[in-house]
Amino acid sequence: MRRREFVRRTCAGLAALHPSLLPSPFAPRHSSSPWLLVPMDDAQADHLKAYGLAYRALKRGTRAEWFLNYRNGSFLLPGDSATSRDAALVGVTVEPIDESRLAETRGLLQGGNMDAVPLEKLPKVAVYAPPNAPPWDDAVTMALNYAGIDFEKVWDGEVFDQKLKQYDWLHLHHEDFTGQYSKFFLNYAGAPWLVDMVERNRAMAQSRGFTSVPAEKQAVAIAIANFVERGGFLFAMCTATETLDLALAADKVDIAASYADGSPMDPNASARMNWKRALAFQNAQLQLSPTIAVYSDIDGHQVNSPDQRQPLGSFSLFNFSAKIDPVATMLVQNHRQVIPDFYGLTTSFTRKTLKPSVTVLGEETGAPWVKYIHGEHGQGTWTFFGGHDPEDPQHQIGDAPTDLSLHPHSPGYRLILNNVLFPAAKKKELKT
Amino acid sequence: MRSPAWTLMLAALLWPGSVGAQQPGLTRALDLERRGDYAAAVAAYQDVLRSVPADISALLGLERSLLPLNRSRDMIPIIRSALAASPRNPAVYGIALRAWADVGEPDSVRTIAEQWARLAPDDESPYREWGAAELARQNRAGAQAAYLRGRTRLGKPDALAAELAQLALANSDYIGSLREWLLAIQQLPGYRAAAVSNLSQAPERVRPALLRILAEHSDPTSRRLEAELRARWGDPAGALRIVMDVLPSDRVQAIAMLRGLLDQLRPSPSLDAKQTQGRILEALAERSPPVQASRFRLEAAQAYAAAGDRNAARRMLGGLADDRAAPSSISSDAGATLVDVLISEGKLDEADKRLAELRRQVSADEYDRLRRKLASAWIRAGDLSRADSAVAADSSVEGLALSGRVHLYRGDLKGAMERFKAAGPYTSDRTEATWRTTLLALLQPFEADTNSNLGHALLLLEQGDTAQASTALERLGAALPPQHGGAELNLLAGRLLASAGRLSDAERLFRTAASPEAPGTAPAAELALAELLVGTGKAGEAVSLLEHLILTYPQSALVPQARRKLDEARGAVPRT
Repeated sequence: MRRREFVRRTCAGLAALHPSLLPSPFAPRHSSSPWLLVPMDDAQADHLKAYGLAYRALKRGTRAEWFLNYRNGSFLLPGDSATSRDAALVGVTVEPIDESRLAETRGLLQGGNMDAVPLEKLPKVAVYAPPNAPPWDDAVTMALNYAGIDFEKVWDGEVFDQKLKQYDWLHLHHEDFTGQYSKFFLNYAGAPWLVDMVERNRAMAQSRGFTSVPAEKQAVAIAIANFVERGGFLFAMCTATETLDLALAADKVDIAASYADGSPMDPNASARMNWKRALAFQNAQLQLSPTIAVYSDIDGHQVNSPDQRQPLGSFSLFNFSAKIDPVATMLVQNHRQVIPDFYGLTTSFTRKTLKPSVTVLGEETGAPWVKYIHGEHGQGTWTFFGGHDPEDPQHQIGDAPTDLSLHPHSPGYRLILNNVLFPAAKKKELKT
Repeated sequence: MRSPAWTLMLAALLWPGSVGAQQPGLTRALDLERRGDYAAAVAAYQDVLRSVPADISALLGLERSLLPLNRSRDMIPIIRSALAASPRNPAVYGIALRAWADVGEPDSVRTIAEQWARLAPDDESPYREWGAAELARQNRAGAQAAYLRGRTRLGKPDALAAELAQLALANSDYIGSLREWLLAIQQLPGYRAAAVSNLSQAPERVRPALLRILAEHSDPTSRRLEAELRARWGDPAGALRIVMDVLPSDRVQAIAMLRGLLDQLRPSPSLDAKQTQGRILEALAERSPPVQASRFRLEAAQAYAAAGDRNAARRMLGGLADDRAAPSSISSDAGATLVDVLISEGKLDEADKRLAELRRQVSADEYDRLRRKLASAWIRAGDLSRADSAVAADSSVEGLALSGRVHLYRGDLKGAMERFKAAGPYTSDRTEATWRTTLLALLQPFEADTNSNLGHALLLLEQGDTAQASTALERLGAALPPQHGGAELNLLAGRLLASAGRLSDAERLFRTAASPEAPGTAPAAELALAELLVGTGKAGEAVSLLEHLILTYPQSALVPQARRKLDEARGAVPRT
């Protein structure tokens, strides 16, 4: 063995011979403290794994609370040995607190724009993705994997077989519900991943008796909207946000290019859309060119349009009243209020295309677009977050996967995880 | 693309009667602008322009001063007056075009560009400025239309080729970019550097297509572009082959072409690149006057030596070291390179002799470097006495570190530790320093001051005999209590076996090393074992082991690494 290689392999052992004399903040504490506070301010060593810690506490059947706006959205977990052990293993900072300090904290919560929301129900999470989807090309899948939150994958077959009923929370990412393969069909013709995507989608459409992939995807979009209407929680990112609404609004309107369904797009499609069926958007103008990987003017950044592409800025989170608007407050809990923006096939949402009922959670000040929106549909809620990967702002096809252990404090990923725990909160009468 | 500011400045200087006539007012305005008082500078420039509305210096100054005040729109009435006063001055049109572009009026930009083009029908500038204005508002299609219109109007198929090439590249159209660059280079060879820099970014999948297009062109300019791109894309030998095929007979031109390729290859650390550098330098030497040729031969020898081609290095050095006609610095450098080559070839006696001869010719630092390199070679050759004598008088930290290794391999653990401590953890390169600190950590648990068997085992490792070294270390480890060196030796032996692919033996030794009686070693042993288990598909067992490590040794510095490995084992992060 060459010495250089040997040194590389053995240097790890060296560190073990010089252990720090300072007490580790992650050391399991089996103190008599009945509670563990999981701070979510800058004292936290791993913000993203803290969500997993709370999730697993719920999974063990214990009670937890989310202290909205207290130390940037801290969690209160039972001080049992299992939780202490879990925190030590994953490196999440916890602070043992006794009843008197807890009472003092509750006093603080009562006095300010803060609130304590009980977390009671373990959310059953589904991620919509084709069976061959790589695990590292979807920010939510990565966040769930990193935090250690259980989820199951579903795709069109499961949707048609009514399996969505089994879940509380459904995530969509960069799926194209207009059935146009992200409009990459012409520009990436022949690329193996595109060939595979086309074949898989055509086979699914055929097996379910649809005449085309766009028709089949529209049926999936409607089933997803029905899931929300029945009380489901929907979280969508990237182009799933825009195309879901386009598919819903395209009531008897051909919005797909001829390569997808054999007939050209209706040149009057924009005027004929039925926006009442959409969740978030209205009055958008559709992109008629099949060669430009842009769907409509819903997206403010138009990343794939050389003429219209806008530079990235940063977006700010709104501050809501924790006691009056706990849902919106939960969704924006963060240790950073201003977050660098990141591109996606759909990066942002233009203000002019938002329905009046939409709650804006995060926006770029002064820009004609917003980043993070929320709304209700029937008994359920939906949340849309523009962009592909918060820690890969210029994401390109074929990029190396994001390693979240290098971004344990990612404020963008925190927003995703807020959404995962939000269905766990005990329902109150909500204003939002 | 050519800077619009540069074009305008040039035009300003060439246009008669601009600066001189307004000197006092203009000087004051420039002074105010330089001091950052932009509001006052604007007023001063406007004063100048009231008397000479088309004064280019004042117009440019006003444009610069309005920008930080966010008042670019104020340029519009001024520029209208300037155009009315001097309707045939191209410099005014350039400023006018930019003024309308700044306020977001593309139709006015187009009108001005058309007027300017009528005024200067053979000039590319109006279209270049027009395209730049379109690019400034991120309208690539508009920029392309402006450039193509210019090409048509000028009737020159290669007009604005560099601009169109960069535009094509921005649209990821590498083939279109190459075709435009070829036109641009034919027109102005100086564009080649920009073309290489741009096209070298092309992704691997399009490179074969680009090379096919280049192969269709037999002219030297295109061939040279292909050669330099090949050099950037990791085909140095192919690059040199092309250059040699088209190398001009003219000595100066040939040297320029060879130097261009050499510059492309210099950043590359690959052996192929070093070997090709050697060949280029050799070719340069053949075309250069004697003193320069000596320098090139020396550099060629160094490149060949770095590439591991010792024969070629020696061929270059042959005679150079003893060449009385060569400058002293070159012959001494050649001598030093020769010593390097001799050491690499294992001809230590000859290297020793050469080094002694060089003592007065090379700098003290260079002499010490070679002496230490020779001492290391003696160690690897097993001649510890000669290694010791080579560094005996060396009181530098590097010398102490080397002396520590000699003592260690002789079995003098105490002496080795003293020298390693004196050398400290920061001297020499990072690998050496880490290795030294690793050895220091290894020796710490040992109670005895001497252990010749350990010294011998580590010498075997230094000499690259991993199999014998691991066997010897394992035997030693078995004979020692875990807390007094046994665990460390088992861990080291396990690592050696793991790197040699003997995984089951490595696993057995890691398990032995992970003894609770040696808490300083156990975390590292458990981590090494977990890595091995993950690598052999036993992720579940690795997870349990890593959890044990984190919970049992929470203060170990390896805990963050263990958490990372735990994430990998659980599939929570991508494997690295």
